[in-house]
Amino acid sequence: MPLPWLGVALLVLCTGACSGPATEPRSGLAPGESRAFEGSWTASGTRRSLELERGHQASILNLSGSLLLTGERGLGVGFQADAIGFSDNKAGGTGQAVWTDEHGDKVFSQLRGEPIGTGSKVLGTITGGTGRFAGLTGEYELHWQYVIESDDGTVSGRAVGLKGRVTAPAAGIPRS
Amino acid sequence: MSSSTSAPAAPAVSAVRPRGRALVSRAATFALALGLWFAPIPEGLTVQAWHLFAIFAAAIFSVIVTAFPLLTAAMLAAAAAVLTGTIAPAKAFAGFANGSVLLVVVAFLVASSVVKSGLGRRISFLVVSAFGRSTLGLAYSIFLTDAAIAPAFPSNTARSGVLFPIVLSLAQGAGSDPFDDETRRLGGYLMFCGMASLAVSSALWLTATSVNPIGVEIARHFGLKINFGSWLLAASVPALASIVLLPLVLYRLFPPGVSATPDAPAAARQALKSMGPLSRDEKVVAVAFVLMVTGWIAAGTLTLDLTAVAFAGFGALLATSVLTLDDIAQEGGTLITYLWLAVLFAMSGQLNELGFMSYVGGRLSAALAGVAWPAAYVALLVLYVLMHYLFVSQSSQVLALFGVFVEVGLRSGVPAPLMAFALLFASSYFSTITPQGGSQNVIFVGSGYLSQGELYKLGALTTAFCLLVFLVLGTPWLFLVIR
Repeated sequence: MPLPWLGVALLVLCTGACSGPATEPRSGLAPGESRAFEGSWTASGTRRSLELERGHQASILNLSGSLLLTGERGLGVGFQADAIGFSDNKAGGTGQAVWTDEHGDKVFSQLRGEPIGTGSKVLGTITGGTGRFAGLTGEYELHWQYVIESDDGTVSGRAVGLKGRVTAPAAGIPRS
Repeated sequence: MSSSTSAPAAPAVSAVRPRGRALVSRAATFALALGLWFAPIPEGLTVQAWHLFAIFAAAIFSVIVTAFPLLTAAMLAAAAAVLTGTIAPAKAFAGFANGSVLLVVVAFLVASSVVKSGLGRRISFLVVSAFGRSTLGLAYSIFLTDAAIAPAFPSNTARSGVLFPIVLSLAQGAGSDPFDDETRRLGGYLMFCGMASLAVSSALWLTATSVNPIGVEIARHFGLKINFGSWLLAASVPALASIVLLPLVLYRLFPPGVSATPDAPAAARQALKSMGPLSRDEKVVAVAFVLMVTGWIAAGTLTLDLTAVAFAGFGALLATSVLTLDDIAQEGGTLITYLWLAVLFAMSGQLNELGFMSYVGGRLSAALAGVAWPAAYVALLVLYVLMHYLFVSQSSQVLALFGVFVEVGLRSGVPAPLMAFALLFASSYFSTITPQGGSQNVIFVGSGYLSQGELYKLGALTTAFCLLVFLVLGTPWLFLVIR
């Protein structure tokens, strides 16, 4: 095989990696059922900071990336995860996150916790969703293993220890 | 010796005529694009990410199978991505305002002043008079010069802007013409030596590229403290071995056609004498380059923007009429480079931003969980290198995948320093795997001495060779020095 075809082989490999094993039925949660999930989130985006009085900084962040779930798949394999947030190095951080699956179904959550940075912890409250995630509630936590910032305002990070639990509405999740 | 004074205007990546095999390649490209587009979207990816992968994969595939040149593939991909609503125009065209992309373009234009003024010719005579008894001697002079100046340059793109005019002058001085099949091989060999040299010298020194400190910062969060000295110690044996061996390996892979030139040093000395003292334009170019290099070296300390430093040098060369608007108007190859690089840079970045890269990296590496650590170590390293086919920026790959791969390696029992150093070094030497694999390559690619097929072939073989050297020599060496 000519070596440049390694590139083609890689494309096949990537496609294969994406295909993955068969997953659970789409509406896996019975009415009122609660399930745990865990995983990691690798994200990149932008951060705009405002220097306040000495040692005080406020920032707005726009992050997106891949949220991969492992272990018990209460929510599936993973999501495209987007978040916007406000981080104050004295008061902490708040934000909103949207996780989108391969069918465009979304999970919404509110974020709060320590100001974003390496080692900081974030708590999320799942407030609902669309499609198969409509009416979902739950909570999760994660911590930033590292957050790397560059001079041009771009920021990248990896959140690990993402653990949480979701509960389907008592009336069940309407099929989309 | 040639007295040509202008850089090649366009790459040797000529338009592919849609006949026979090319038609089949094009049909296969469109089949791949449509096949992926309409395939079921993998769980965990969005429609947007999957469709962008379909477009990007088809574009890269088309270049590899020579269905289209890079420019054509990039233009079609950008149009498809925007017109189908896969990504917003602002995101698709963001590469045109990217500092690294602009730095490549300006460095290309500035390089032409070295050739036009005659300074490049003078430098090439100086190099040939010292190393010019053989083509291999010239190749080693490129590797050694680059390795020596690398620790002072925090940007290997900026370093390529310094190295390229010298390599171009050497090629032209030896009578190599990118449009002449007989003589272009010598220039092609030297050009690829320049690319390979930048890749390996970046692995040798912590401060030779901005990618390395990013990786070190991430590694710190896995409990590793890497400094200038420990990096150099860890990299020394495999990187120096690569520097010694690569000119020879490339010589075998891409014979330059001319091997021994025993009379060249004497002829070069004679030519230097006949050139007389430095001309006014040569002095201006020399001063401009010294100031630019100083600016690039001090950029971190003085918080100078690398691209702005290049713009200042370019502006000075225009203001002093060393370069004229007519000279710039003839640089069509630079426009080609700018267009394809900006599009692919933005598209690869979007693929990353949409989570595709970390998704694939995570899925591939997670599949290795539970494998014996030596096997996991090799597999993770090979996968990490291969995944660079999808990236147009080294730092993007480090940010997206380095932490993920280190973590999986640790879970598999690979010693942390071993996994981290191996991936960190790979983040430099894998840059030659594709012409667009590192912005420092692009200026050499645009010289026109190597065809698209040759660039991909040499890129794959060079990267495979470096991978082998770093695995076979680097692994035991790391065990020896990191404990």
